[in-house]
Amino acid sequence: MPPQADVRQDRRTTATASAAQSLPAPMLDTYREVVTPEGVALHLPAAGPVPRALAWAIDFAARGAIMLVIGMLLGVMGKFGQGLYLVAMFLVFWAYPIVFEAAWHGQTPGKRALGLRVVSGDGAPLGWLPAIVRNLLRTVDMLPFGYAAGLVSCLCDPHGRRLGDRVANTVVVHVLPHRDPARVPLAPSQAPAQPLLLPEQGAVVAFGERAPRLAPARQAELADLLSPLTGARGLAGARQLLGMANWLLGRR
Amino acid sequence: MRQEQFVARHEAEWHAFDAWLRHRGGRRDGRAPALDVAEVPARYRRLCQQLALARRRGYSQPLVESLQDLMQRGHAVLYRAPPPRWRLALRFLVAGFPQLVRSQARCMWASAALFCVPLISLFVLLQWQPETIHGLLDPMQIAQMEQMYDPSDERHTLGRDSGSDWQMFGHYIMNNISIGLRTFASGLLAGVGTIAVLVFNGVFFGAVAGHLHVAGYGDPFWRFVAGHAPFELTAIVIAGGAGLRLGLDLIAPGQRRRGDALIEGGLIGARLCLGVAFMLLVAAFIEAFWSSIGSIPAWIKYTVSGVLWTGVFAWLWRGGHGDAERPDAP
Repeated sequence: MPPQADVRQDRRTTATASAAQSLPAPMLDTYREVVTPEGVALHLPAAGPVPRALAWAIDFAARGAIMLVIGMLLGVMGKFGQGLYLVAMFLVFWAYPIVFEAAWHGQTPGKRALGLRVVSGDGAPLGWLPAIVRNLLRTVDMLPFGYAAGLVSCLCDPHGRRLGDRVANTVVVHVLPHRDPARVPLAPSQAPAQPLLLPEQGAVVAFGERAPRLAPARQAELADLLSPLTGARGLAGARQLLGMANWLLGRR
Repeated sequence: MRQEQFVARHEAEWHAFDAWLRHRGGRRDGRAPALDVAEVPARYRRLCQQLALARRRGYSQPLVESLQDLMQRGHAVLYRAPPPRWRLALRFLVAGFPQLVRSQARCMWASAALFCVPLISLFVLLQWQPETIHGLLDPMQIAQMEQMYDPSDERHTLGRDSGSDWQMFGHYIMNNISIGLRTFASGLLAGVGTIAVLVFNGVFFGAVAGHLHVAGYGDPFWRFVAGHAPFELTAIVIAGGAGLRLGLDLIAPGQRRRGDALIEGGLIGARLCLGVAFMLLVAAFIEAFWSSIGSIPAWIKYTVSGVLWTGVFAWLWRGGHGDAERPDAP
């Protein structure tokens, strides 16, 4: 085993660590936070049964299509072809999810389409053995019919893990879309009329970063919430907030 | 420090790290990453510290999010599992797998007992009371079995109704390996599933073997099964042992948390299943291309079978003996 395996043992899952630390992470109840050895928290938004079922359906269709194509190609080869067809069926049934998840960043084509990813319980990428375990144990999750056992386990678990996930120590998470950091548009810097707490400062700067993507009416609407601070309403208030954001960012 | 100054000071570093993460897939388009691989961990740790600072100082959510995203991508690269290596896989087959089987000796013996006791007792019972077979198998199955091993059949293939070697090879792979893997997986039902599969298969094989033997169809039957039995039966027993291990971890985790015990049992089971799949692959090969040849005289078949049984047991008993007893994952 690689040396990092020992390091991983030290990690612990904390539900509250970063909330106590500073700015709140989004406090969704399916959010899983894992503190890495470097002392920062990984955010793992666990996926529920519905997107996973959809991903499974897409994979099912993909597997069906693969078998159809292989069947047509091998159909002309007689009994030898039938033998190969059965081997291919075995591979598509058992190896398809294992190989995709272990070798393709924890994603089968269906999971990729739905923006899902399988990661290890400590947030690290999925290894081969956990991928094998979680996919072999589908046998049990499928019992007694239609993934009923998996669904019950998924609904009972805080992180939506089916039985195979629990044994393999894996989680299916949403892949958050990658966004480039936004810039606060330049505006004449202006000190707030009163000192602001850290979360309040963060909110004002975040408004500045989002403002270019908001319609003027929406900007005005949001700024109106802070009219006690800005002393203005409408777009004038929005401009004041932009000025404060610039001041808070240090453009003075 | 204000956010703007913080960004201005570190932005170049973040961009470099981001570019390295995006290009490390091996795209050689001239814009090769300017980072030395050796300094990546240090850069990653610095990024983690900057992220922690950004959180602590309450910098804006988009900035923290983008740093978080960068950190998680870096984490995914630095903590990825090592790629599988062929040499390690070979070592696992030769040494690691037998070691692993021996380390679970109790489960393996229990599994062997659950499989062999019904098999042997039914076989013996059917020698004394042949009519018992009608309480175990329905007439259709009996007729099919008798047809497959009919000594007066002139087709000179054993153990099948029809179908070429390749077709049966595919069939054995699909069927037998699936059964092996399910034998392990159903152990998660507190071991009940595995026990049921083992006992059922023991009863079935015992019934078929006993009936065919007593009905005088023994010669083709034994010639057929002798070749692949060493691998197939052993593999089913090992898969059963892995399933029992998993079931025990669920029922009696001992000093460990139940979740941790299950994770441990699952990893052991996964590695055992790799070996089981390999053994069943060998068995399918033998079954399709060797066992079915009807023209080979019995004494050759039984000699080969004896060699294979000896080989399998020697492999499981001595394989990796003397190495550090630490089965490696492939």
